[in-house]
Amino acid sequence: MLLEKSLIEEMIAASLSTGADFAEVFIEDRMSSNIQLVGGHIEKATSAKTFGVGIRIARELFSVYGYTNSKNPSDLRKLASDLAKSFSNPERVSSVPLAEAEVGTRHQVRINPRDVKQETKVEWMQKAYRAAKDYDPVIQQVAVNLNDWVQNVQIANSLGRHVAEERVRIRFYVSAIAGKDGMMQTGGEGPGTGKGYEYFQEELNVEEVARQAARVAKTMLFAEECPSGVMPVILNNEFGGVIFHEACGHGLEATSVAKNASVFCGKLGKPVASPIVTAIDDGTIENGWGSANFDDEGNPQQRRVLIENGILKTYMVDYINGRRMKHPITGSSRRESYKFAPTSRMSNTFIDKGTSTFDEIIRSTEYGLFAAKMGGGSVNPGTGDFNFAVAEGYMIRNGKIAEPVRGASLVGNGAEILFKIDMIADNLERARGMCGSASGSIPADVGQPTLRVSSITVGGKKGAN
Amino acid sequence: MNFEKLFAQAKTRGMEDVQAFLTRRNELAIQVYEGELENYEISDFSHLVLRGLYNGRLGTFVTEVLDDSVIDLAVESMIANAKIIDSPDQAVIYAGDPAYEKLTGLFSESLEQMDVAEKIAAVKRLDHTIHAKDARVSTGQTMYGETTKTVFLQNTKGLKLEDKANSAYLGGEVIVKDENDQRTGFDLEISNDFADFDIDRLAGKILEEGLGALGAKPIPTRPYEIILRHDALAVLLSTFQGVFSAEAVQRNMSLLKGKLGQKVGSDLVTIVDDPFLPKSSSSRSFDDEGCATRRKDLIKDGVLTTFLHNLSTAAKDGITTTGNGFGGGVSFVNMKFLPGTIPFEALIASVNDGLLVTGLQGSHAGANPVSGDFSLQATGFLIQNGKLGAPVALVTVAGNFLPLLQDVVAVGADVKTGYYGITCPSVKIRSLAVSGL
Repeated sequence: MLLEKSLIEEMIAASLSTGADFAEVFIEDRMSSNIQLVGGHIEKATSAKTFGVGIRIARELFSVYGYTNSKNPSDLRKLASDLAKSFSNPERVSSVPLAEAEVGTRHQVRINPRDVKQETKVEWMQKAYRAAKDYDPVIQQVAVNLNDWVQNVQIANSLGRHVAEERVRIRFYVSAIAGKDGMMQTGGEGPGTGKGYEYFQEELNVEEVARQAARVAKTMLFAEECPSGVMPVILNNEFGGVIFHEACGHGLEATSVAKNASVFCGKLGKPVASPIVTAIDDGTIENGWGSANFDDEGNPQQRRVLIENGILKTYMVDYINGRRMKHPITGSSRRESYKFAPTSRMSNTFIDKGTSTFDEIIRSTEYGLFAAKMGGGSVNPGTGDFNFAVAEGYMIRNGKIAEPVRGASLVGNGAEILFKIDMIADNLERARGMCGSASGSIPADVGQPTLRVSSITVGGKKGAN
Repeated sequence: MNFEKLFAQAKTRGMEDVQAFLTRRNELAIQVYEGELENYEISDFSHLVLRGLYNGRLGTFVTEVLDDSVIDLAVESMIANAKIIDSPDQAVIYAGDPAYEKLTGLFSESLEQMDVAEKIAAVKRLDHTIHAKDARVSTGQTMYGETTKTVFLQNTKGLKLEDKANSAYLGGEVIVKDENDQRTGFDLEISNDFADFDIDRLAGKILEEGLGALGAKPIPTRPYEIILRHDALAVLLSTFQGVFSAEAVQRNMSLLKGKLGQKVGSDLVTIVDDPFLPKSSSSRSFDDEGCATRRKDLIKDGVLTTFLHNLSTAAKDGITTTGNGFGGGVSFVNMKFLPGTIPFEALIASVNDGLLVTGLQGSHAGANPVSGDFSLQATGFLIQNGKLGAPVALVTVAGNFLPLLQDVVAVGADVKTGYYGITCPSVKIRSLAVSGL
C-alpha cells in the first residue's frame, strides 16, 4: 500500500476533529513516460514520477480540499488539521474504522509499461513514421507521440471505504501534415488503451494507424472549403460520439445539475431525445480507456443507462453533489490526479446501436454533410450550446458520398439536437478521447454507431450553397 | 533533494552535465455558491525537472518526490531517455548570461499576508452584489484563486537563478433566466494587488454578459464585418501562438515559415512578447534553460521580425536564443497585441453591417494551428449602422489566421489581459464568414 492504514486513520481523525461529517484521503503514485518523434528523429524523451496526497473534508454541502507532495507523516497530519480549521462545529461524527484495502482486480494488464524498454517503444514509433511518410509525396511532416502511465491509487474515507488499484493507460498518436503550394492540412489518429503493451503486440497495427492519419491529411489538402448553413449531417461511428458527449453528457454530470446549471435539470423520467436514442455511460468495460475498478471516491465503477428510448433515466452523481441533489451516488466520481478534488464525470459514454445500416442512412440522404472523422468539441452546460469540429468531411449528394470538404464545425443546442437524431445504424464503435472539466483532464471514451441528425448548423468558410 | 549529490552521482555514471529546475507552487482557491462558502482549497506543490546530457544527448526526468531516494531513479531515467534520442539538434546545459533583468512588481507581500477571511468576505460580497443587482439571476458561483510561484534553477555549469511571483484572480459565473431563455455570464480579473479588484464593476460585467445575451439567436449565413472583442482576439492568438515558434518553423509546421522580414499583417498589427510584464505570475527574468529573457517584437507594424527561440532552435539558425526555452520546447511569456487609439465605442460606430464577437468557443478542436483554418462557435451582438443590436448565439465564424492579420482594419484602445496570459485590444476585421440560419 502507498500509505499505512494507521496513518490514514490518523489523518481522517484529525480531519473530523472540528466537526466535519466526512473525510477522504486520496493517495496517488504515478510513473509516466512520453516520447516524441518528429521527422524521423526522437527529439524528446521524458519520464516522470508523481506522488501526492489529497485530503477532502466536508460538512453538509461545504467542502475543503488540500494536497501535498510530501510523504512525511507529520506533514500529512498537519495538512489534515490545517484543513479542519475551516470547521467549528460542536457535534462530532466518528469515522468507521478501516479494513485492509480492497484491491481492484479487474482490468489486469499483461505487459506493464514499466517492463517495456524505451528502445522497444521507439521501434513502433519509427514504423509508424515510415508508413505515414511513405504514404504519399505530399506528406511533408509526421510526428508520433507515445505516452504511457501507471497510476497507483489508494482511497479511504470516514465511511469505511478503503480501496486500491493500479490503472494503466497507453496512448499512441500520429499526426501527419500534407502540404502543397504553401497550404498545409493535417490528419491525426490516436488509438489508446487501458491494456498493457500486449495491445501493441496483438491488436494495434501502428502502420495502419499512420496511414489513416496520412490519408486524412492528403484528402483534406485537396478538399474544398465546407459550405455553411443548416443541413442534415451524418456523423460516423466511433469519435462521432463526441456529439452526445458535448450535447448531453456534460449536462448530465452532477457538477452542473446539482447547481441548477444544466438544461437537463428536472428532466428525470422525461423525454430528452428522440425515442430511437439509448445512451450509456459504462465505467466497467474491461480494460476500457475510461474504465476503473473504483471511482475516485473509492466506490465501484458502474454501468449507467443514462437515456433509454429517449427517456432520461439517471444523472451521473458523486458524493457531495448527491447530498445537494438527494440523489444516490452512481460511482461516477473522477479526477485527473491528487491535485484535483473529484467530481462527477463521464467514463466510456456511447449511444447504443440502432436498427438502420450505414448504407441505408447514406442512401436516404438527398443532400447533407457526412462527417467521417470528428475532432473535439465543447459545451456550456448552462445554455446547452455546444460545438465540435469535423476533421474529415464529405458532401452527400443524391444519396451518395461525394467530394471531400474541410474546415467545418457544427454548433447546436443539447436540449434540442438529440430530438433530431432520426436514424441510427448498427455499427457501434468507441474511440479514445481526453475530457477536460472541473476535476482536470481524464481519459474518456466516446462512441456511437453512424447516425443522422436531420438538421444542424454547419459552419464552414465557403458560405451558403 | 541535495542537488550536489545528484550532480556528483550523474557524473559518476558518465553524464556530462545536469540541470535542475524546481517549481514550487502554493495555491489557495475559494468558491462561494448561493451566498455560502462552498469550497476551499489549499495546496503546496513542488515539481522538479531534471535534464541531463549523456553522450551529447538530452534525457529528461520529472519528479514530485523530492528526497534523495529518487536520485538513482533520476539518473537512470535520464540516461535511458538520452540513449533513444537521435535528433541531430545540438543540446547544451547553459553556463549563464552576464546579466538578468531585475524584476519588480511580481511578488506582492501584502497579498500573501492578507487574511484569508478577508478574501472569503470579498468573494461573498461579489456573490451578494450579483444577486442583488437583478431579479433574473437564477444561480451563480463566485471564485477567488491565488498562486505563489517560485522557480529555481541550478546546474553543473555553476548557474543558480531564482524568480518569485504571485498573482490572484477574482471572478464569477452567473446563470440568468427570463420566460424564454437561459444564458450564462462570466468574467474575472487578474492582479497581485487586491485593491485592483473592483467588486461592483466586476459584478456589473458578469451580469451584463449574461443579461445581454438573453434571447440570443443565430443570424443568416453570409460574410459580416467583424469586431473581435479583446477576449475573443485573445482566444485566437492563444490558439495560433505556435506559428511564432522556431521549433514549429524548423519542423515545417508553421504558416510563417520563410516569411521573416515580410509583411504578414496589416500596418496596424504589432505583437510583442514581454517577459517583464508587472503583476503577471508568468513574468520571468530567465527561461527554463537559464537564458536571460528579453522583450521582443514578433510582428512590428505588420512585418514579421523574429521567431521565438530556445538554445537548440537558435543554434540551428545560427543566431542567439530569444530566451523562450520553456517546458522543454519554445513558448511566449506574456504576449501582447499592442492597442491602438480608437475607443471601443468608436470601433462599433464604424461598422455598418456587422457582428461584434464577444466569445469564441471550441478553439481546441475548431481551429487548426498548422493550417491556420478556424471555424469557431461564436456569441455576440449584431451591429447595424454603427449601433449594437440583438444578441447572437449558435453561429460560427470561420477564416484563416494569416488573412485575418492582414484584414485588421482598426485597433481599439481598450485592453485586457486574459487568463491565457495574452493581452489584447478589440480589433475590427474587414470580413469573416458567419454561419447561422
